[in-house]
Amino acid sequence: MKLSWLQTVQGVVTVSIRGERQEELVNEATSEKIGLSAIRCTKQGELECEVTVGDFFRLRPHLKRTGCRIHVKERRGLPFWLRKLERRKFFAAGLFLFFVGLYALSSLVWTIEVKGNEKLTRDQIMQAAQEEGVYPFQWSFRMKELDDISKHLVAKLPGVSWIGVDRQGTKVTIQVVESTTPPPLPLYSPRHLVASVDAVVTEVRAETGKPLVAKNRKVKKGDILISGIIGNDGNTKTVVAKGDVLGLVWYVYEIESPLNQKVKVYTGESKTKWHLLLGNRTLQVWGFGKPEFERYEAVETQHQLAWRNWTLPLGRVKEQLMEVREDVRRLSEEEAKQTGLLEAKAVILEKAGKDARIVEQNILHEKTENGKVYMKVFFEVEQSIAKERAIVQMQGE
Amino acid sequence: MRSISRKIRKLTADLLDVPQDVVFDLPRMTMIGNRQLYIENHRGVLQFSSDKLRLALSKGELEVGGSELVIRAIWTEEVFIEGQIDHIQLHGQGEGTK
Repeated sequence: MKLSWLQTVQGVVTVSIRGERQEELVNEATSEKIGLSAIRCTKQGELECEVTVGDFFRLRPHLKRTGCRIHVKERRGLPFWLRKLERRKFFAAGLFLFFVGLYALSSLVWTIEVKGNEKLTRDQIMQAAQEEGVYPFQWSFRMKELDDISKHLVAKLPGVSWIGVDRQGTKVTIQVVESTTPPPLPLYSPRHLVASVDAVVTEVRAETGKPLVAKNRKVKKGDILISGIIGNDGNTKTVVAKGDVLGLVWYVYEIESPLNQKVKVYTGESKTKWHLLLGNRTLQVWGFGKPEFERYEAVETQHQLAWRNWTLPLGRVKEQLMEVREDVRRLSEEEAKQTGLLEAKAVILEKAGKDARIVEQNILHEKTENGKVYMKVFFEVEQSIAKERAIVQMQGE
Repeated sequence: MRSISRKIRKLTADLLDVPQDVVFDLPRMTMIGNRQLYIENHRGVLQFSSDKLRLALSKGELEVGGSELVIRAIWTEEVFIEGQIDHIQLHGQGEGTK
């Protein structure tokens, strides 16, 4: 008979009962809540049944009273098994050692995996990890807290922004995230910074090199502003001069600005043409014929069939022809002057660089003739005047 | 006096539609084919051998005949029998069996 786990733990004996008043014994046992199970009769007129070890001892007094005799035939379950084990000491020791070994081997660190390293070598990381007590065949319970290990590893390894240490069973994974460093600066040959135009210096900002000019100094084109040669006589060194020099530069412009200006205007009349788009060809399908107006501008809008990221070679093109008229606008003298000045300023700023600033402007001379305004304007512009010039090493010096 | 109380009990059992085994302390038997038999409300074993089992009831007795009978488990009021069961007889049930 198959035993339940509870019976196995308690231990079950199979007993045979001899005697005249077997039924009485069964009734007494039942009323005492002694669990007899699988009661069967043998051919010799004996009663066989199974009873747990505890109940077996409780059965004893009833045996005497009913005049039955009991004989244990079979013992099963944990208590008997342990008794047997006691006699087989080496087997028991082996069993115990097996479980101890299993536990011990599974609490060792067997493998260490390093992930995500590009610049750092695996050996470098393993070396640092070993100093933190993470190495193969280390007891995992002797390892420090994983958070602490990862913190210390980040401090130890250069160029690392984050390290995650994770242990799963006998495997330790070290996930490395390396920090990205900017690419190295390009190399320059030693140079001076010289003036690109004639100017009056307003500001000198030298990063490297020896500034040779000061504020309010007048410089000519080609004068050295920041020298790339530093040090006193006999003890010099060439460097890459870096920095910026601002200066006031004078410009004189002759401006002519017409009083009549041509302006393009849409009249509002339009005509629409439709084209079918196949691959890179178009086929007109709608709006044939010339428009009723002569001057026009065409505006094309293209629609292509697409689904998610897929663009199909199929679509439509809308071409809108819009009538244009050219109007002539007459400006007053003042307006023409302003437009001319604006245009001149735009030209100067383009020439002098983005961070140039117009400090002063003076109209020197102005006249209106033949529908145009003629002007001579003086601009004072503050701009960067530094220009690089390489230092040429003299041979035999 | 006892017959009066029995009549009242029968009346209530009929009126309230309560199962008879609850009211009259009668055995309730559950049988699975001829292999297993589950008897509730018995009053002890009278005789047991591999081909015959006699159980005492509150009134009368129950006889189970068959071969290779085994009492799988027994409790104070229930008994669970296995084996090949051929017949079941009830003796001395009196007017309850009418």
